[in-house]
Amino acid sequence: MSSWYAEKSPQDDIVVSTRIRLARNLSGIPFPARMTAEQRKDLNLKVKKAITESNTPFAKSLNYIDMSDVPQTEVMAMVERHIISPEFAGSNAERAIILSADESISIMIGEEDHIRIQVILGGFQLEKAYEIAEALDNLLYNSLNFAFDRNLGFLTECPTNLGTGLRASVMLHLPVTESSGEISRIADSVGKIGFTVRGMYGEGSKPIASMYQVSNQITLGISEKNALDNLKIITEQLIDKERGSREGLNRVKLEDTCFRALGILQNCRVLSSEEMMNLLSRIKLGISMGIIKTEAMPIKLLIEGQPYMLMKKYGQLEPEERDIYRANRMREALA
Amino acid sequence: MLCDKCGKNNATTHIKQIINGVVTEHDLCSACAAKEGFGKFSNGSLAEMLSSMFGDIGAVGAGTKAVRCPVCGATFADIAETGKVGCADCYRTFYSELLPYLKRVHGTVKHTGKIPNSTPLAEKPQEETAENLRMELNRLVSEEKFEEAAVIRDKIKKLEEKGNE
Repeated sequence: MSSWYAEKSPQDDIVVSTRIRLARNLSGIPFPARMTAEQRKDLNLKVKKAITESNTPFAKSLNYIDMSDVPQTEVMAMVERHIISPEFAGSNAERAIILSADESISIMIGEEDHIRIQVILGGFQLEKAYEIAEALDNLLYNSLNFAFDRNLGFLTECPTNLGTGLRASVMLHLPVTESSGEISRIADSVGKIGFTVRGMYGEGSKPIASMYQVSNQITLGISEKNALDNLKIITEQLIDKERGSREGLNRVKLEDTCFRALGILQNCRVLSSEEMMNLLSRIKLGISMGIIKTEAMPIKLLIEGQPYMLMKKYGQLEPEERDIYRANRMREALA
Repeated sequence: MLCDKCGKNNATTHIKQIINGVVTEHDLCSACAAKEGFGKFSNGSLAEMLSSMFGDIGAVGAGTKAVRCPVCGATFADIAETGKVGCADCYRTFYSELLPYLKRVHGTVKHTGKIPNSTPLAEKPQEETAENLRMELNRLVSEEKFEEAAVIRDKIKKLEEKGNE
């Protein structure tokens, strides 16, 4: 079964992926930061049982993975595939996840909260992703006693997640909106209604590959439906804006930018991951504008070209060696 | 661009905070950024930011007797220091201490989303136990809604009188 980034998805000319995350905790035991090793093991088994002994298709389609059985390279490659968080990967505590074969569903056990349900789908699929997450939430609630309060909603270790415990996000590819310098204005206006826009890769003011994540910030006093509806409206506006701006571009200049990127990727011998991401961003733009014709999928290549994903495939590599393998991989894929 | 704080070094760190829709922006040099607690840009920065927000709220309660959560043993000082709550019961134990902070983060303290084991996304009235009513009373008092609080107070009184009969 192939991953979300290896398939054609709705509106994926702009929306790279859709993610739903639900934070849930059990009552009567401390939150993960204060848990003992015994309590952690006990929690892992409880969640495992809740899934495997449920009379649902999830019992068969989801696999329990003890993270201590996973080699460190694969743990880090899971971060690069957005299955687990960097914090979860970096922890030495007894951790486990529950994962679907296509890796679209993952449940982190004992991360910041006892349970983090995550559903990640390619393209723009908010309703579908939430539907799956909610089904899992209901299933787990049937056998686990979730901490809930009438006023504060689902209780979470970090007070910023109280209420619905829902973080809904979309990852958008916005190269033209970005170059018009409008991202910060957009960030300001969505900030006023409780949403954030941030660069998906890279830190500070210079995001890599023109990828932006839009997500809800407020979880208390807003229903799941409202949060999802608002995110949908914001995303649709951003899609329209990006598509509109793309139409207005000078065709020859755009072709030049895209083909230059293709030229480098088809001929390079040494390639850093940052350069790869920025070039693939232009290839993605070129494909959606009908300029570049290729079977290659830029987002799939972008993920496969990450450091630990390369090492998962080719074995332990020094950074300089990785840059060579990465260049080879891109030449091969875009030949 | 020069640092907003010291005005001497080049600003290399751009801070944008959005709290309840209020946007503040700063351009800082790395030294001033570290001083302001924005030195590390791991995901730990959120916890640090939280604990700094808790800090000024926690300071008010400092010096008073250290109440411990009966389930996990955390004190409010522990929570203020880490920005992380010890367990679900801490929300009950330290409700009034946490409340001003929760309001700052979310702008409200009334959950309007899903209620477990109910029709998805629908609202369902909660059972009126003395415990639930007391929590509601705390909330109304802290929001200075005294008239509504008085109604709840009378309900609690009635419930307790019934219990004593």
